[in-house]
Amino acid sequence: MNKNKKLLAVFAHPDDESFICGGTLAKYAAEGADITLVSATRGEMGRRMGNPPYLNRETIPAARESELQEACKCLGIRRLIFFDIRDKTVEFQDEESLIGRIEALIHEIDPDVVLTFHEKLGGHPDHCAIGKAATAAFRRAGRGSLYFISFGDSMEYPERYGYTRKDIFKIDIQAHLKSKLASFRAHRCQTEIDESIWRPDKEALSRFGRYEYFIQGSPAVKGQPHDNLFPA
Amino acid sequence: MNKIDRSQVEAELKKFVGADVYIHSEATSFVFVRNFKVNVTHAFIAGDGPYRAAFRFDGHGWLRMEALTHAEVDGNGRLLLAGFDDRGRMNVALHVGKEPFPE
Repeated sequence: MNKNKKLLAVFAHPDDESFICGGTLAKYAAEGADITLVSATRGEMGRRMGNPPYLNRETIPAARESELQEACKCLGIRRLIFFDIRDKTVEFQDEESLIGRIEALIHEIDPDVVLTFHEKLGGHPDHCAIGKAATAAFRRAGRGSLYFISFGDSMEYPERYGYTRKDIFKIDIQAHLKSKLASFRAHRCQTEIDESIWRPDKEALSRFGRYEYFIQGSPAVKGQPHDNLFPA
Repeated sequence: MNKIDRSQVEAELKKFVGADVYIHSEATSFVFVRNFKVNVTHAFIAGDGPYRAAFRFDGHGWLRMEALTHAEVDGNGRLLLAGFDDRGRMNVALHVGKEPFPE
């Protein structure tokens, strides 16, 4: 279905890809899309250190890197790139060089779809900063389709955020919830605090929604249905 | 990370007295400082758990942190103190080493 299609996801922390849009990534990977993930940081300044805690500030970067590698396997993400920026400092990086790095990747990969954070609705300074840079890079490269990821089912009500229904793409991930759950568990030090994730699969899966939502960041192809990020 | 044994941590803290050290200090949700270099003249630990720790440095400086619960001396001789809540979330960290921490 989406063979030979390419997707580039530009996020801030290990786990953004799984927690926010893991079902969609698993779905497109399963359909044959070639997915590249950028994680700007290693999430090394996070609060969660396992439960009970088994990590410290100096051991957490390597732990989260290997957790993300494992999550990529669960979701079918083939290529993982770290930008080696310290967690919580993305907004203080030289913006031009950040945009340049992402634009170079867009030229190299030539993705059909770019996913990133909305620069205002990202919810964390690192999210907003990487989203802003990736959006600028996408506009400069001038190709493909851009979407902003969103949290939970908040975009069932896009009017609250200044959008309308026709700006929203709604992806059915029902068939890929198992992969999403596996990716949550791969991020062990972040999810141990959340008991429901570690209950038997059936129970753990019941907490996931059936859909993930995306805000259109570039004009949709004419007639493109809003249940697929890839234009036909 | 292990629960703080006060006398053991006190002994580890004293090893940095008289030395130039690099410090990582954070209150996780609010601030972090990584790799500030000072000459430690006094080191303290106080409390019955959670613990407070403090350094006097450079003849005119103080660093004091509280809510510390866990400690570890890692393979590089660095003393890593941290404070976690009851679900493993970090509230504070205080790391001391004689070499800079990775940026």
